[in-house]
Amino acid sequence: MSVWDILTNYYPAFLTGLSVTLKLCAIIWGSGLILGGALGLAGNKFPRGVGFPSHGVSFFLGGVPLLVFLFWLHYPVQAMFNVVIDPFYTAAFTLAIVNIFAVADIIRGALNDFPQQYLIAAKVTGLTRKQTIFKIQLPLILREVMPPLLLLQVAMLHITLFSSLISVEEIFRVAQRINAQIYRPVEIYTALGVFFLAVCLPINGLALWLKSRFTRNLSEQ
Amino acid sequence: MLSVRNLHKSYGDNVILNGIDLDIEAGHITCAIGPSGTGKTTLLRLMCQLEKPNRGEILIDEEKNAAPWPKVTAVFQSLFLWPHLTLRENIMLPARNHNPEAEKDIEGLIKLFEMEAFINNYPNQSSVGQRQRVALARALIINPKYVLLDEITSALDVEQTAKILTKLSHLKERGIGIFLITHHISFAQKAADKVIFLDGGKIVEQGSPDILAAPTSHRLQDFLSLAKFAS
Repeated sequence: MSVWDILTNYYPAFLTGLSVTLKLCAIIWGSGLILGGALGLAGNKFPRGVGFPSHGVSFFLGGVPLLVFLFWLHYPVQAMFNVVIDPFYTAAFTLAIVNIFAVADIIRGALNDFPQQYLIAAKVTGLTRKQTIFKIQLPLILREVMPPLLLLQVAMLHITLFSSLISVEEIFRVAQRINAQIYRPVEIYTALGVFFLAVCLPINGLALWLKSRFTRNLSEQ
Repeated sequence: MLSVRNLHKSYGDNVILNGIDLDIEAGHITCAIGPSGTGKTTLLRLMCQLEKPNRGEILIDEEKNAAPWPKVTAVFQSLFLWPHLTLRENIMLPARNHNPEAEKDIEGLIKLFEMEAFINNYPNQSSVGQRQRVALARALIINPKYVLLDEITSALDVEQTAKILTKLSHLKERGIGIFLITHHISFAQKAADKVIFLDGGKIVEQGSPDILAAPTSHRLQDFLSLAKFAS
């Protein structure tokens, strides 16, 4: 049985797994970019009230293996509060939290490190606040943050695989199930690898292109 | 006239400016000289209202608390050109707000500062001298009445400094009041209509460029002899 045969025979199961993975990604990416972006902006504006605590949480999360964090929220926490939450939502929440604080760290760092002299130049040449934000700050900050943000989102997509370990029916778990039935690990995991390559390579390529196109060396000689 | 009256500025206990009175006249070049750390750049930053004084006032054409830009603009030693824009875009961006004839004026400035060959480059593709001229052009395109220049010739060779001197004379003829901080005594001698010598947060001596040839205060005499020795 070839990779193609497996894909054609089991495509309904793969599509179901794929849709769960994509839903997870939509939640993780959407919340990470929107809430993480907002948290990063707030962290820059209110460093003591928001910036340091947010960096502290991010530092803490960086020290806890994701799998431990996921299992901890799935079993002990739910047992402590005597609740049962759909694993999909547990996984989405856990991964979204990680993404939100990671995105916030990238945005806050870029804003904190923004060279003030460009703002002084904008001031003394009479640029409006709107022009300063949209023509100076935003383009320079986007150049700085776009490649790491895209690479982080690719990493988050890879990490969704962990949710299979708490029984989320995402694409990796579907692949495992099919393998359990027909035992064709080489073909099945190759098909899975091809799927991830098809999704991740264009995003990685975009990140590299943005990096080479926009983050050229801006330093003066 | 751009005037400062009884200007005081300190950071904590560190007194930087201690009662400065100064007038920058339109169509004149005023040069500020003095040892490093004596408050020249702070004075410039206060005049273009990037910082607030602890005491004293700044009058722009007799007006108190007037918005400085675009009437007053500044060019700093480090130039601060926006690195993601071409040199032409660096000049045109501020122009759109303040100069309805920017498209025409930029061509005049390109000619005046001889920027034809590199105007479409990015700042990091240009030499210091080229960036210097662009920074000046960016300041001038908004039609300021007063231009404050902070050691803009510090990184230039003799030839480029002479070129800038010529350009400043052109600006003076156009009625622009120029305040120029410099460490080059000979440049101040040639360019200035008025020279002020700052030391310890105060104007110790001021007058025509002749004071550089015949200083009356001991402090300026010492400074000039040291400057002569260093050059």
